[in-house]
Amino acid sequence: MRRIVSFLKSKLVRAPAPPPAVPPEGDLRAAFRKRYAHFRSLLTANNNTLQAMADLEQVFYSGQSYRMAVIRSKITTILVNVYKMIRDLIAMGDGKYQELIPVFERISSKLELIVDRKPEYQSGPMIVPLAECNSEQHHLVGDKMARLGMISRLEGISVPPGFVVSATATRHFLADHLDEINRRLQVLESDDLDGLYRTCAELREMITTAPLPGDLQELLQVHYSRLEKISQPGCRVALRSSALGEDSRGISFAGLYNTMLDADRSTLVSGYKEVIAGKYGARAIAYRRRRGYRHEDIEMCVGCMVMIDARVGGVIYTRDPANRDGDVLHVIVTSGLGKGVVDGTGDSELIRLQRRFPHVSTDNSATPSLGPSAAAASLVNEELLSRLAVAALKIEAAFGEPQDIEWALDHNDKLYILQSRPLQIDDDETGAASVEPAAAADPGEPPLIRGGVCVSRGVCCGEICRVESEQDLGTVAKGAIVVVSHPLPEWAPLLNQVAGIIAETGSEAGHLATVSREFGVPALFGVDGAMSLLTDGLQITLHADDCAVYRGRRDGLLVARPVAKDPMAGSPVQRLLTEAMQLVTPLNLTDPDAAQFKPSWCETIHDITRFCHEKSVTAMFSFGRTHHFDEGRAKRLVGEVPLEWWVVDLADGLRPGIDDDAKTLRIEDVVSVPMQAIWNGLIAYPWQGPPPVSARGFGSIIFQSTMRPEIDPSVASRLTVKNYFLVSKHFCHLSVRLGYHYALIEAYLSDLLTESYVTFRFKGGAADMGRKTLRVQLLAETLEHYGFRVELQADSLLARLKKRPADYLETRLQVLGYLILHSRQLDMIMDQVGSLERYRDKFFAEIDSMFAEAPLHALEEH
Amino acid sequence: MASSPKVLLVDDEREFLDIMSRYFTRRNIDFAVADGCLQALDQLDNGSFDVVVMDVSMPGLDGLECMEEIKKLYPAVEVIILTGHAAPHTSLVGMKKGAFDYCLKPIDFAELHEKIQLARKAIEERKG
Repeated sequence: MRRIVSFLKSKLVRAPAPPPAVPPEGDLRAAFRKRYAHFRSLLTANNNTLQAMADLEQVFYSGQSYRMAVIRSKITTILVNVYKMIRDLIAMGDGKYQELIPVFERISSKLELIVDRKPEYQSGPMIVPLAECNSEQHHLVGDKMARLGMISRLEGISVPPGFVVSATATRHFLADHLDEINRRLQVLESDDLDGLYRTCAELREMITTAPLPGDLQELLQVHYSRLEKISQPGCRVALRSSALGEDSRGISFAGLYNTMLDADRSTLVSGYKEVIAGKYGARAIAYRRRRGYRHEDIEMCVGCMVMIDARVGGVIYTRDPANRDGDVLHVIVTSGLGKGVVDGTGDSELIRLQRRFPHVSTDNSATPSLGPSAAAASLVNEELLSRLAVAALKIEAAFGEPQDIEWALDHNDKLYILQSRPLQIDDDETGAASVEPAAAADPGEPPLIRGGVCVSRGVCCGEICRVESEQDLGTVAKGAIVVVSHPLPEWAPLLNQVAGIIAETGSEAGHLATVSREFGVPALFGVDGAMSLLTDGLQITLHADDCAVYRGRRDGLLVARPVAKDPMAGSPVQRLLTEAMQLVTPLNLTDPDAAQFKPSWCETIHDITRFCHEKSVTAMFSFGRTHHFDEGRAKRLVGEVPLEWWVVDLADGLRPGIDDDAKTLRIEDVVSVPMQAIWNGLIAYPWQGPPPVSARGFGSIIFQSTMRPEIDPSVASRLTVKNYFLVSKHFCHLSVRLGYHYALIEAYLSDLLTESYVTFRFKGGAADMGRKTLRVQLLAETLEHYGFRVELQADSLLARLKKRPADYLETRLQVLGYLILHSRQLDMIMDQVGSLERYRDKFFAEIDSMFAEAPLHALEEH
Repeated sequence: MASSPKVLLVDDEREFLDIMSRYFTRRNIDFAVADGCLQALDQLDNGSFDVVVMDVSMPGLDGLECMEEIKKLYPAVEVIILTGHAAPHTSLVGMKKGAFDYCLKPIDFAELHEKIQLARKAIEERKG
């Protein structure tokens, strides 16, 4: 027989080509180490990128506030790490994939433009008369003054004469200081209240001591002189902030900035600087952060208006803030200017009027202060109230939405409008759900306090923290309920962190009340004696809607807690992030086998990372196939070892202390996790020898041997006599030639799911194609049963597992170890009826039994 | 190479160098400081450093140009750039010009320490 085989070979087969030159093993190790280092670096960069992408998504969808600095930081992390991935992949691919570079350049340039984008400023005159202001000059004089200019042209309505120092003037004034201001703001940590106040004080000092440019100073004096001519020599003026960029719906920007009253020629410049500095006050900075505005999104203008010698003043809400559909408008009245109303320090009275002419007082017994009290009636009679209502509704009609209007009557009862802005109204659809009366919802202990005015609806629970001065701000814990004497606008930075707020004075018309509603923080004002009744550390439940404070936690009431509004909705920062996310997170390259899985189809950062990761795994996978090695340096496994196995240590795959020149080692010396797992599968059951072969099967082997000498066991080749493990601690590449088939296992096990993979290739056999195909079918069914993704082509099989926990992958490596041993020579008997089913059942039983004897985690996952 | 690499800290802010110096001293990291690019190049001429940690937004010679100069003269030295204001452009350009990694100001010291260790590991791996 052997002579026949030799004869046929000599006739039919040419001498095999000489094997490729084998580099020394040192070179192999160096090549592996280099590729392995790039692979590790790439996987780390991939992980960093995916983490930063997840962080971006988390802040985007959290419904919480986030800063532009966070977005810039995450985008930087993403771009730098994707750059590293591309660099590593090109190094692993020996220069392949260069076409990723222009794709990355295109996407990263767009992202840089988005995150570095500045608002487009409009230029114009440095000073604009108030009477000339209109909506088209919104970007020059600020929203407040543009609206006031429009109101001044409404028939029968007066505003004080004045002018506006525009945003062009502000830029001119701060030109030499903006870089330093921005630098100091950007290094501010978001939770550092002390640092915030310190920085604000420094910025105020910087701005108020900076010299005003000569031309601006001269213009200010010229326009002040004009006001003197209209009014009277030495007239007093009010300097009011008017900011640009505060143009989002549902955002009040109430009470954030400085107003300087009673300025004259001598204090005009210093007052102007104070109002400009107000942009960098603590409450303004905290508010912008909360609502998603960058400092550069807001520009400060200053309105300069002749002071009204007010007999009476106040605020009008053209709708009830708690009930937008009611036929009621609110007039809040105080003696003198309305300043005490809006900053929460003054006594005031609420009068509810019908919106319908003749605007008489309503008579709703549910509210304690309805018709004018004796005190209020002495300030405003019904005729004046009716005039106020008519003017307010005219302004509402002009702007097409409910208004929050600040007004004053001089001693001749001439009405002046000082400010008007859209009214913040509780909207049930956005979360301020109505709640049942407390007694019905929770009939427990009666409230500790009942009374006051609900200025912001909702229910909350927390520990009391009384705040008397700015020094106390640092002591306020997150989630506390703050109690203050007066609801000053200065407390607004607290609204970022407190659960609720209670004040002894104040009304719904104050700035703090407005911001509380906007932030969805329950607030109860006008609670007489709250500072003494409520002690620090006392846990309470505040039911603002019901004007009640309960001792302890009242879960029955807390179920009515409204859903928080998204504080960033519609903000410039959210718009930028939305735009940036489109270039980052969508994944288009989902199928590595698709024709489109190539750099030119990458449209997002996620696509590039997906491509780099897939190709890096392929590059590592091909290492064993593209790099031959000197088996003379390999160590042979000795001991109770079936067959012949050799180990090449590529990095840290062996126990420390193993002699580099040793020719042998024992399995205990191997610390490679994936190799140990494969080994456990190999030795689980002894191979029971070749299956009984029919005459037909034997004949097939002889014929195949004559056609392909490399599969003849009698022809020595390095693959027929030795099986090699190339190992590191977490990596294993195994080339196996057992009998006539060739198998390859490669695995990288990591704590990171994205890095971990197991691949298995199997091909060949001695039998004819039909029986070899049946054998890979047997293997495929077994592997699929244990969770592998399997691809078959004729007698070739490729099975993969990715992104699974390392302990799960260890069990699957055991399966592969078992299969490469026990599928030996099965192709020869695959023509026998029922052999596939019989062996499949045997495999399942033995593998399951193997798992049962050595339980590992995650077995149930198959 | 010793397990602790020798680090050169380069920043024009004296206060920042003082803070960094205290941090490095507490962790027994062998380091020297330079207050600008020229002094950094002098230090590199006169001493053996493994890692340079430098602020690239210093006045005078552009920080990124300085980094390029260092990489040209001392290619084995790894440079970690510090960029202020979370600037993606500066960080990315720095990486393309050969920086080993970047850290954003204000500095997360643990992150910087880890990146210095990674730079050391990369140098060791290169040396084999």
